[in-house]
Amino acid sequence: METRRGLFKKTLGSALLLAAAGAVPVALQKTRERAPRKPLRFFTPAEYSVFAAVADRVLATSPLEPSTELGPLPSRPAAPLPAEVEVAEKADAFLAPLDAGSAKDLKQLLMLFDNALFSVVMGGPPRPFTRMSAEEQDRHLRAWATSRLAIRRTGFQALKRLAAAVYFGSPETYASVGYPGPPYELVRSVNAARER
Amino acid sequence: MAAGRIVTGADVQRDLILKPDVCVVGSGPGGAIVASRLASAGASVVVLEEGGHHTKAEFDMQESTAYPRLYQDRGNRATADLSVAVLQGRAVGGGTVVNWTTSFRTPEDVVARWREKDGARVSPEALRPHFEEVEERLGIAKVDLEDTNPNNRLLYDGCKKLGWDVDTTKRNVRQCLRTGYCGMGCPVDAKQSAALTYLPDAIAKGATVHADCRARRIEWNGKRAVAVIGEVLHPGTQEQTGRTVRVEPRAVVVSCGALNSPALLLRSGIEQGPVGKKTWLHPTVAVAAIYREPIEAFYGAPQSVASHHFAHRSEGAGFFLEAAPLHPMLAGIALPGFGARMRSDLALLPNTAVSIALMIDGFGDGEEGGTVSLRSDGNPKLDYPFTPRHYECWRAGMKALARVHLANGATRVQSLHFVPVMVRSEADLSKIDEAPLGPNLCAVFTAHQMGGCGLGADPARSVVDPELRHHFLENLWIADGSVFPTSLGVNPMESIYGISSWAAERIRSTLAHS
Repeated sequence: METRRGLFKKTLGSALLLAAAGAVPVALQKTRERAPRKPLRFFTPAEYSVFAAVADRVLATSPLEPSTELGPLPSRPAAPLPAEVEVAEKADAFLAPLDAGSAKDLKQLLMLFDNALFSVVMGGPPRPFTRMSAEEQDRHLRAWATSRLAIRRTGFQALKRLAAAVYFGSPETYASVGYPGPPYELVRSVNAARER
Repeated sequence: MAAGRIVTGADVQRDLILKPDVCVVGSGPGGAIVASRLASAGASVVVLEEGGHHTKAEFDMQESTAYPRLYQDRGNRATADLSVAVLQGRAVGGGTVVNWTTSFRTPEDVVARWREKDGARVSPEALRPHFEEVEERLGIAKVDLEDTNPNNRLLYDGCKKLGWDVDTTKRNVRQCLRTGYCGMGCPVDAKQSAALTYLPDAIAKGATVHADCRARRIEWNGKRAVAVIGEVLHPGTQEQTGRTVRVEPRAVVVSCGALNSPALLLRSGIEQGPVGKKTWLHPTVAVAAIYREPIEAFYGAPQSVASHHFAHRSEGAGFFLEAAPLHPMLAGIALPGFGARMRSDLALLPNTAVSIALMIDGFGDGEEGGTVSLRSDGNPKLDYPFTPRHYECWRAGMKALARVHLANGATRVQSLHFVPVMVRSEADLSKIDEAPLGPNLCAVFTAHQMGGCGLGADPARSVVDPELRHHFLENLWIADGSVFPTSLGVNPMESIYGISSWAAERIRSTLAHS
């Protein structure tokens, strides 16, 4: 079975080859960078910007109220924005101890995901992901998630799971999904009683 | 005899050379019970455990703390293509610290098959006293139906309505509060993990447990294992401190669990036999069912009901049905899609029931299962190809689960395909057959890793002999789930305790005569 690393290398390699053959203006389009709120330990500024842009769409809320067969949902606090939860900054801290091989895989994935030429080759718009409109970004994510190329589905899952894990694992998002959180009082009182 | 102790990475300030009778690598159910049995028999025992030593005061019931701290690869373990998410514990006590407490003896027909096909010597009669002792030590007892949470009760009720076999399970708990946080480390020490039972038993008899100490390789010469080389890790960051623990024992017991045991052998150049082959996962699919009334699948004993109605199928692989807890992080990872689609599912979290169908892999003709090899950094790489047998089984499993929830009156049931199949009536069930399956097209999980160092009489087809001794290294045994020639069809923890306890008698007897 082809390794993730090997295939990313080959795919990126063929994109660069095409760039050398004349598609230079597209290939040179750079990542639209945004400023992190904390010093980075894992991502480069460009990688951070790609992941933050992915997190924005993976965790986007619908402008419409979610329709539900259960009738109106109980009133809850609005879901915080990914940036308010510092999803990309928390992902950066989480990834800092990653082993060298996996780190290289993930970094290559982020750059491939934002590569304008690769987007064109795959039938998408001639822009990096970070310079696409929200609608284009959603189409880009969906194309990766449902691609016939297994490696792109793997890439989508890696990014989606990381964004979702960081966001929904953050206690400030619990109330928005109706999760009351752990029963700290019960645990404290039982432990105290048992230790007496 | 003086009691031993737990040594953490912070305690090791210089390189150590230890010369005990036995070095046990891994402190999960297999390693813990072997250490306890051998220490009780008078052997000096050193246990190496790569995970940290964590206690209830640290178990804060937060997924964002628990997964990085208590799971392999900081909660991110998966097959190489990410098509199967692998939940596997990593701590003093191994998977028993984070599992959901479901306790089954090894099914007798499974043991019979191992005897017939693989030359296994273990038998249900031989295992019985070991299971009885384990059940006593761990407080394993059957759950009262009244104590199941709604998520499990729905599985029970749905199966009953359909006329399917179903029952409450046994759990290894004492004075359980049923908070729902077994998977994050029990915050009240109700779960009788190895860290609270067999490891303290071993320590009381003089065993020393080195936490934060990763076995890098086994040195061997001719037909004997000579030393185990451990790298000491920083207890907080789990980065190497540069210190080593070199253990030169009379016998080595490898109990790192499926995936890590074959990886240790491969790192050590102990490659005789099919090391890493025939790795079994009980690969698991799930459905989410939406109910009008609150389910709160995040609270209550996470797993207390199981149905083995479909364990033996003529159409293909068998499967069994259980429930799974649903906390927000795991929900966010597992529920399909992204953006508004995922958000609308998460908004229904309190009203969502989650049931799982676990495929019983390893019983088909020519079934190969997964393969463990090494990544460039020496960590295990797992490949687990999907086959038509998987797809047939998963579709049947998803349809069975959907029928359970339709029978209960769920407003809808949805699959975990990227574009989920919505089932609102029996007429919708056929849509499950049409939805695409393949790597990363539908969520697949495993919490049960088995095989990879299978037992057997034939050295060409197995890694350890019928008494779990390595075929070529005469003082090396393997005692964990990696020795199973097939999967089990039940949650594996109690089987690992039982067969390892049985093997400990053989190890003790061999040591006494060497």
